Amino acid sequence: MPSRVYARPLELYDGAGISSGALERELQLSGFRKGDGNRAGTYRRSGGHFVISTRGFRFPDGSESKRRLALNIYGDRVQDFSVLNGEASPIVRLEPAQIGGIYPSHKEDRILVQLEEVPALLPATLMAVEDRNFYDHFGIAPLSIARAMLANIRAGQIVQGGSTLTQQLVKNFFLTRDQTLLRKGNEALMSILLELHYEKGDILETYLNEVYLGQAGTRSINGFGLASQFYFGESLKDLDVHQVALLVGMVKGPSYYNPRRHPDRATERRNLVISEMEEAGLIDSVRAARARGLPLGVSGKPSYSENRYPAYIDLVRRHLARDYREEDLRSEGLRIFTTLNPSIQYAAEYAVTDTLPRLASGETRKALEAALVVTAKDSGEVLALVGGRDPQFAGFNRALDANRPIGSLIKPFIYLSALEQPERYTLITPVLDKSFVLEFDDGRRWEPKNYDTKERGEVPLHEALSHSYNLPAVRVGLDIGVDVVKETLQEFGVTSSISEYPSMLLGSVSMNPVTVAQMYQGLATSGFNTPLRTIREVTDSGGEALSRYSLEVDQVADPAAVHLVQYAMQETMQEGTGRSAYYTLPKELALAGKTGTTDDGRDSWFAGFSGDLLAVAWVGRDDNGPTSLTGASGALPVWSRFMARVPQHGLSPVVPDGVNYHWVNSERQALTDEYCDNARLVPLIAGSEPDQTVSCSGTLQRRIQGWFEGFFQ
Amino acid sequence: MNTRFLICAGSMTAFLALAGCASSPGESIYVPIGGDAPRAPEPPRTTSEPEEPRVWRKSEQPETSEPVESSPRSTSPSYRDSGESLSPAALSLIREADGLLARGDAPAAIARLERAQRIAPRSAEVYFKLSEAYVASNQLGAAEQFTLKGLSLAGNDAQMQRAGWLLLADIRRARGNVAGADQAEERAAAL
Repeated sequence: MPSRVYARPLELYDGAGISSGALERELQLSGFRKGDGNRAGTYRRSGGHFVISTRGFRFPDGSESKRRLALNIYGDRVQDFSVLNGEASPIVRLEPAQIGGIYPSHKEDRILVQLEEVPALLPATLMAVEDRNFYDHFGIAPLSIARAMLANIRAGQIVQGGSTLTQQLVKNFFLTRDQTLLRKGNEALMSILLELHYEKGDILETYLNEVYLGQAGTRSINGFGLASQFYFGESLKDLDVHQVALLVGMVKGPSYYNPRRHPDRATERRNLVISEMEEAGLIDSVRAARARGLPLGVSGKPSYSENRYPAYIDLVRRHLARDYREEDLRSEGLRIFTTLNPSIQYAAEYAVTDTLPRLASGETRKALEAALVVTAKDSGEVLALVGGRDPQFAGFNRALDANRPIGSLIKPFIYLSALEQPERYTLITPVLDKSFVLEFDDGRRWEPKNYDTKERGEVPLHEALSHSYNLPAVRVGLDIGVDVVKETLQEFGVTSSISEYPSMLLGSVSMNPVTVAQMYQGLATSGFNTPLRTIREVTDSGGEALSRYSLEVDQVADPAAVHLVQYAMQETMQEGTGRSAYYTLPKELALAGKTGTTDDGRDSWFAGFSGDLLAVAWVGRDDNGPTSLTGASGALPVWSRFMARVPQHGLSPVVPDGVNYHWVNSERQALTDEYCDNARLVPLIAGSEPDQTVSCSGTLQRRIQGWFEGFFQ
Repeated sequence: MNTRFLICAGSMTAFLALAGCASSPGESIYVPIGGDAPRAPEPPRTTSEPEEPRVWRKSEQPETSEPVESSPRSTSPSYRDSGESLSPAALSLIREADGLLARGDAPAAIARLERAQRIAPRSAEVYFKLSEAYVASNQLGAAEQFTLKGLSLAGNDAQMQRAGWLLLADIRRARGNVAGADQAEERAAAL
C-alpha cells in the first residue's frame, strides 16, 4: 500500500480568511461535488453563500463528524457560519484533500490502483487481448500461444501476444529485455513460481501497476494509473471505452504506438482492441462503433503524476526521511498530514507562472527560472512551495537545491547584530557611506562598492538598511565582527557552512530559498526561531498516530532589537528598495521586506512578511548567467503578485517591553517634536535615546499647519 | 512541585477565561484581495432563511460615502501597543484543551492548542496555554519558550504581562534557574 499524503484540512469558522473562489476550489480538491448541498460530499453555492454537506473524517486527533454547514463569504472572510445538521461547533474541519502518494522505492512515481477501484472493463479488455485464460493457467499457457497465433492470422497482423500476463509481469519486473532462450526459460520458471505464491488477483493488480506504458525523458511511465494521467490527464476510473482500449493496445509497444508521436498507428491499434472488446462481448456493437469514431482524446501536455505539487511533496519526502525508512513509506500505507495550503499554493504558482514571462527580455527571459517559498509566519508551517517556472514539473527543485549567494538579504542580520548592542547602535546612529579598501595579509585587496556606485557620507542606520547601501553594511559588520554576524545567522537556523571572509557581509554566502525562509522566520516572529515544518502528523493505515511534529519556538534574539529591524524593513517597503511593491499592493498590509541582488543580476531575491505570511522569492538562471535584474525588478514582482492574491492580515508588530517610540530628527540624532522638519517616529530601546533635543521654534507655521493636518484626519 | 503547577495552571485557566471575555484589544487589520478593508456596507445578514435568494432594494441600501484616502500623514511603519484578542473559534478550542488537560491528556490538549494557535497566532493567551500544557507533560524547556513567546505578544496589557512573568518564574524555578525566576518575579511585581 502506498502512503497517502493530505493537504492541511480547511478550518471553517466565523472570521476565517478565504475568498469564495478559493473555497470552491478547495471543496473540489477535497472531492466535494457541486450539488444540492444536502447529500454528503456535495455543496451548493450562490454568490458568496455556501451550503456544504461534509462526509466526516477521522483525523489523528479525533473524528470530525458528518455535518451540514451554511456560511457566507464577505470581504474574503467567513461570516454567519452555522451548523444546520449534526453536532454543533463554532469551528469545523473539512475533509483534507489528498494531494499525492509516496512510492519512494521506485525512481518513478506511480499512481497505484487497487483492483476493486479499477473499472471492470480494463482487466476484462486486458485479458481479452493479452491473456484470455488468465484465471485458469498456472503462469504459462502453451495453448494460448497457439490461440494467439490463430487470432493473429485471422486479423492479418499481430493482435495478441503469446505470453501470459504473469510472464509479462515477470519480464517487466525482474528481468532484462535481452531476447535469449535462457531468459525465456527463466521467465517461464519464475512465472510458475509467482503463481504458486500469489493469488490471481494480486498478480493482476501488480500487473496493472507495473506494466510499462511509455517514456517521458529519462522517466518511465509504469502502470495504468500513471499512464491514464500521462496520456489523458484523467483519473483511471473516469476513462471512457476508447481510452481504455488505447491504453490496453499500447501494452504491446508503448513507443511504437505512442499516441502523441504516431497518432495514426495508435488509432488503428486502438480500433483493433475495440473490435476485440466487441467480439469478447464486453461492449455492444453500437458502443463499439461509436468508440471507433472518437478521436484519441490524448491531452496536449503530458501530466506526470497525480502529485499536483511535486516540489512540495519533495520537501515532505525529505522531512519524512529523517524518521521513516523508505521501505515503510512505500509499503505501510501511512497517512501523512501535511501543512500544504492549496489556496496559497495556487496563488504562489500563479505568481511565478504569470510573472516570469514579463521579466527581462529575449534569451534571458526564456532562461529565467524561479522559486517561491511561503510559510505561516508564527507557526513555521510551509504552506506552499514552487520549485521552478513549471510548477507541475517534477524536476530540479530550486526551492531546495538551488544554493545561491543571498546578496543583501544578509543585511538585516548585520544590523540586528549591531542593534543588540543599544549602547553602540540605534536606528538613528550615523553610519558612514564611504568607500574604503581592505587589505588582507596575503596582499589581496577588497574594495566594496555601492550598487549605484555613489557615496553619501553619513546616513542614519535605518536608511542605510532600507536603501540597502553596501558600504555602511560592511563597515558596521566589520565593526561588530564577522564572527558575531555569523553567530546570529546560525542562531536563526542556518546550518550550512558560512564563510568568515568579509565578503560574506555582502551576502557571498550561498543558501537555498527554504533556508532563507527559515532564517527570516526569526525576524518575522520578533526573534523566535521556529523550525519550518511540512508535516503535522503521520498515522498508520488504521489511523493510529505514529509521529506528531509539534510547533516549537526558541528565542534566539532580543525582541527589542528585532523590532527595530522590522521597523527598517517596513521602511524598505515604504521608502526604500522595496517601494515598488505598493504600486500594486494595499498600504494596509504594512509589509516588511528586503531585496537581494548579486553581481550582474545572477540572483534576484526578495524576502518579506505580512501579519500572517512569510514569503521568499528567487529569480535567476540555472546556468548562473547574468540577467540585468535586481531584487526589486525580478523577485519582488513575483513576491508582490503572490501577496496580492491572498487575503491576509497587515503586519503590526506588538511593541516589546523596553522599546519606546520617539519623534527624532535622525540627521541630527536628536529628539524633536512631531511637526518639526525631518521628524520621524522611531522605536528606540530604553536607555539609548539621544541626549540632544532640537525644537523647531523657527517653524511655528509648519507646526500649526501640521496640527491642523492631524486634526482633520 | 507538581501541586504548585496545578495551582498555577488552575489560576491561569481562571485568568484566561476572564481575559477571553474582557474588552478586546482587537486584531490586526484584515486586508482582502484587491486591497483595502471592505468599505461598502455589509450586505444584510440572513440567518433564518439562508436558502432564499437575497433581495436587493436600492432604496434600502445605506448611503455609500466616497472612499477616503486613509493613508496616514507620515509613512511611519505600523506597530501596536496591545496584543490581539481571541476569536470565539479559538476560544472554543482552548476550552476543549482545558477539558483534555483536566483529564490528564496533555498531548491531545497540545494538538487542540496548536489548532487554536494557527487561527489566533498573535494572541498571547494561546502561547501561555501551550506553556501550561507543556508543564503538564513535564517538558519545561518548551514551556519556558512558549511563555516567552506569549510575553512578546502581551504588549501593554499589564494583567497579561503579570500572568506571563509569574508563569515564567514558576517554570524557571522548577528548572533550577533561581536567578532567572527571581528576575521574572521582579518583572511581575514592577507591573
